[in-house]
Amino acid sequence: MKYVERRLLHSVFLLLGVSLLCFLFTDLAPGTYVDEIKLNPQISSETIAALKAQYGLDRPLPVRYFRWVKSVVKGEWGYSFAYNLPVRSLLPARARNTLILAGAAVALAWLIAIPLGIWCAVRAGGWADRLCLGGTSLLLAVPEIVLALVFLFLAVKTRAFPAGGMHALGYEQWSFWAQTGDLLRHLVLPVATLVLASLPVLVRHVRASMREALQSPFLDAARGYGIRPLRLLLFYALPAAANPLISLFGFSIGGLLSASLLVEAIVGWPGLGPFLLEATVARDLYVVVGVVMASTFFMISGNLLADFLLLLVDPRIRSGAA
Amino acid sequence: MRRLGWLAVLVFVCVSLGQAVSLPAQPVAGEELQISHGEIGRYGGRLVVAQKSEPKTLNPVLALDAPSREVMGRMNADLIHINRDTQQTEPALAQSWKVSPDGRVFLLQLRHGLRFSDGQPFDADDVVFSFQVYMDAKLNSPQRDMLIIAGKPIAVEKAGPYAVRFTLAQPYAAAERLFDSVAMLPRHLLEKPYRDGKFESVWSISAPPAAIAGLGPFRLKEYVPGQRLVLERNPYYWKADRNKNRLPYLDEMVFLFAGNEDAQVIRFQAGDTTVLGRVGAENYTLLSKDAASRGYALYDLGPSLEYNFLLFNQNDLTGKKLEKLAPAQSWFTNLQFRQAVSLAVDRNAIVRLAYAGRAVPLWGNVSPSNKLWFDSALPRPARSVEKARELLKGAGFSWRGDGQLLDPKGRAVEFTIIASASSAQRARMATIIQDDLGKLGMNVHAVSLEFRALLDRVFQTYDYEAVIMGLGGGDADPNPEMNVWLSNGSTHLWRLGENKPASAWEAELDQLMQKQMVERNHSKRKQLYDRAQQIIGQNLPFIFLATPNVLVGARSDLGNVKPALLEPNLLWNVEELYLRAATGGGR
Amino acid sequence: MSPRRKIWLALALLMALHLFVVFADFFAPYSPASQNRDFPLAPPTRLHFRDAAGHWHLRPFLYATVPRLDGINEYEESRGQEYPVRFFVQGDAYKLAGFLSSRLHLLGVDAPAQISLAGTDSYGRDVFSRVLHGGRISLGAGLFAALISLSIGTLVGTLSGFYGGWMDESVMRLTELFLVLPWLYLLLAVRSFLPLHLSPLQTFFLLAGVIGTIGWTRPARLVRGVVLSAKHRQYVLASRGFGASDLHILRRHILPQTYGVLLTQAALLVPQFVIAEVTLSFFGLGVNEPAPSWGNLLASLQQYNVLVSSWWMFAPALALVVFCLGYTILANLIHEQIQSIPA
Repeated sequence: MKYVERRLLHSVFLLLGVSLLCFLFTDLAPGTYVDEIKLNPQISSETIAALKAQYGLDRPLPVRYFRWVKSVVKGEWGYSFAYNLPVRSLLPARARNTLILAGAAVALAWLIAIPLGIWCAVRAGGWADRLCLGGTSLLLAVPEIVLALVFLFLAVKTRAFPAGGMHALGYEQWSFWAQTGDLLRHLVLPVATLVLASLPVLVRHVRASMREALQSPFLDAARGYGIRPLRLLLFYALPAAANPLISLFGFSIGGLLSASLLVEAIVGWPGLGPFLLEATVARDLYVVVGVVMASTFFMISGNLLADFLLLLVDPRIRSGAA
Repeated sequence: MRRLGWLAVLVFVCVSLGQAVSLPAQPVAGEELQISHGEIGRYGGRLVVAQKSEPKTLNPVLALDAPSREVMGRMNADLIHINRDTQQTEPALAQSWKVSPDGRVFLLQLRHGLRFSDGQPFDADDVVFSFQVYMDAKLNSPQRDMLIIAGKPIAVEKAGPYAVRFTLAQPYAAAERLFDSVAMLPRHLLEKPYRDGKFESVWSISAPPAAIAGLGPFRLKEYVPGQRLVLERNPYYWKADRNKNRLPYLDEMVFLFAGNEDAQVIRFQAGDTTVLGRVGAENYTLLSKDAASRGYALYDLGPSLEYNFLLFNQNDLTGKKLEKLAPAQSWFTNLQFRQAVSLAVDRNAIVRLAYAGRAVPLWGNVSPSNKLWFDSALPRPARSVEKARELLKGAGFSWRGDGQLLDPKGRAVEFTIIASASSAQRARMATIIQDDLGKLGMNVHAVSLEFRALLDRVFQTYDYEAVIMGLGGGDADPNPEMNVWLSNGSTHLWRLGENKPASAWEAELDQLMQKQMVERNHSKRKQLYDRAQQIIGQNLPFIFLATPNVLVGARSDLGNVKPALLEPNLLWNVEELYLRAATGGGR
Repeated sequence: MSPRRKIWLALALLMALHLFVVFADFFAPYSPASQNRDFPLAPPTRLHFRDAAGHWHLRPFLYATVPRLDGINEYEESRGQEYPVRFFVQGDAYKLAGFLSSRLHLLGVDAPAQISLAGTDSYGRDVFSRVLHGGRISLGAGLFAALISLSIGTLVGTLSGFYGGWMDESVMRLTELFLVLPWLYLLLAVRSFLPLHLSPLQTFFLLAGVIGTIGWTRPARLVRGVVLSAKHRQYVLASRGFGASDLHILRRHILPQTYGVLLTQAALLVPQFVIAEVTLSFFGLGVNEPAPSWGNLLASLQQYNVLVSSWWMFAPALALVVFCLGYTILANLIHEQIQSIPA
């Protein structure tokens, strides 16, 4: 399929562009990895200069970029200054944890948003719609971090959920089901935070799109034929409203990924989030670039998925693209 | 479905590996154990502590970050140790030492019969090897600079199978303190990689436990990326309690990588962690509300050794293209201006509002809790906006109709104070000072910057007017502070990169600091350092603000808790800590 | 009520809300920067209508707040004397609309009592006053940024959806690029090139500019989705068959289809952009102390102890909800109105 090949090629170029811009941005930003030890009065400025040279931080940008590309080809993805290890070896464990969290959040958010949005659209102006409007407005006004902290506070107060982390201590010795249960219990808070934070956007778009579809003339015609309301809703209105929603789906993967990076750092979820945050603060450049590349990759995959879905759902586009 | 299968395999592997506890080894004849004098505890249990982030390396020679040092401190031991409780040096791996009359030669006698955590013996060769590695210029170890006295590395030679001689190029006051936290390395494991030039990649965080050995109370058991690091008892540890029970009491120590202070507080409150490192006053107040019901105790250890200060940019800006800073610098270099600022700052308000009362105001660089070096005679002028105004008037400043302060050339006094966005306390101090200086008619702005961006301005570009920072806290002795006060020091913040002192008082300060560094008589040294403190207090290169109290917490069932002002505040005697109730093991 | 009248009513209510913010100087009892260092983190003052003797008062009164001796930042009412709430009182001086000097405030009480309807912050500043003042920059910048990002988004999304081909491909890749770049680094870089102190007006344009340029991607993709499905509709094809120009088709048939998505987006983006300042202020790009904004007020909620022990610090979030609801309802009404007009 030519379309797929073209998309893959584009993705490679996108990754290349991201890496270039990453290097440019990091070069423009003030400070380097060795800056923090400057505050330690027991370390001389000569040692700091020597460290900078050792990390190659005294080299010009093109040299550093070229070195990095070389190391990507070798499969190392650059060396972390802090860990003294190839970035490639640091990423998989963390990326897996992020995918577990973000995947659960994306699935649950859409599972809630679609029925809720449809319900609001059908009952537009009713009490459910209004309640939904008020609730989503409230959620919009509270930053994710605050939401996560509120949940953690409740977890500490009620002792119903673990207050952060991904596994209980000593979980390795438990049975498979106990482990899964433990993981699910730890997932509740971060997933709830992410779902609630993304819900307003999703619900409102589902509602708006459905509302539009419900008011369109072809649906009146369908109603006239006496098609049952539920069938009308699911097989006529929903496909008509699907187009912008699928765009939104692709986007929500990216949005939830980046939001999860933030929430992870608050609830101590051992994913890419705390890793990236710390590397950013410490200016561990190649780790930053590595994590950004990894999340770019996930996001591209998400958008590809959305594009294919669009192709699948909308015969007009299919015929247009063919 | 494939994921499930994969998880099942993981479970099987974990279960089959088992959870064997490493038991303390039987004493061996000729083994010279150190006897510790804490309560007699009971064996078993697990201590859990939360860290801001994960350690980056387990290589003591190369580590730059605090979490790594905290973990490695439990896995390694030094020759002479600073007791965190008494703040004095005491024997550690070296059982005793002799100093030559001229104060340059130290002869250390090592304990006999000690073993690394892998069971291999420890002797003088390991010590010589360790220092060779630390002082290797190619490795750029952060400890190296400390071991260079008067421009020359300390000479280390073997003086017998259990004796090592250290020769300094010139006498150095309190030279024993240099040995603290310099971890002794196992030659049998590290010599080959060192000779092969592969030392940088040795003992990385992902290294297998068997490849790492140290002389500390614990050794590596397991590392889970991003989540936790587990240490287990070093069965060969060289300390025992009064009943000859080999320490440590705890089976395991777990470092959880929790995140920022708030996350650590939440985990402690939820009962996930056994001890809580330093926290801010608000979190301390918050935790103290349900200390009894949740079974933990909190400790306010009084003022720390660090000092927070307001710093004005007095750097030499030639060639920096920062002409815009010239008017501001003409004020900042004026002593009366700095004195007026110091008089106008409401230090008590800083203590109350930035630290919820758990701090003390400062007028010098030595905290009142540093009993050995604090100069109680140092003047502490009370806040007085009137006196400050008089000083400004005397220096030729005047006021416009709307109250704005004008400098002698008629320019409005307006500048920006930067503070790190990651420290709520310092950001708050900036806002308080902004308000205080507003009462003198100064138009002051407070801006929060990300920490590295702030450091870049202070150390690299010099593009700032005033900044709030903190220093100190590492050790009670003045010597680690040398680089702050020497005019050519690397942390001589107000005028960096000077070749020679810019003023008479800085020249005198240089002399005093150099003299105290080699003076071995404490009372004479104290006289010199008191004078240095007075000069600093009179000339105000820093406007000292406050030092926060050290606030920590521990679960009530933890025994032998003796929190100390020096870091690591709670874990310094981790080998003595024990869990009273039988809660440990598979909690 | 006719839909048109409903819109006007909603608009009027929203305007009234904005008046509180625009004339914050008058409606707020205190200056947003004035510190009362004896009362940090004091809870909201309670208004009383019934005195100790059991008499009811029409005019509410309050008691002076005093620190409790047995705690840090804990307070109680000193029941000795009653302080009636007074209207149109003289207080902190301010300049109305930039030049009109005044001391008149809507509310006030006699010293030493304080009327803090939403408590005080960690410097003892009145949170209610700060919330009113904070709305100026936050709402302004939020609206402006939403306008910028929606304009860019509509333009780019329409072009890419309508013309497709390489234009579509490159726009889509660009939006992906925009979403994944480490913006924090760019913000750091931007910060280091700007002067340290920024005036409120500069901050306003900076916030709006930064947020608007980063935030155009989602509207662009959504608009593209709508345009994609609209351009194959029968009536569009018919119109084309009659020889209509691209511009005509876009204006007459395609763009009206995007109004729903755009209005929904607008109502969502404003509060999101107000919150974005929380992040930006960490990098020194937000509104600087002591000037308040909803963003920097909300930022203090990110401290666990504040969130747990000072519930009144949620006040800016509440204000944001009220405005956010106002905008959303208005957007919904307008949307319904557009829908009801036959295309």
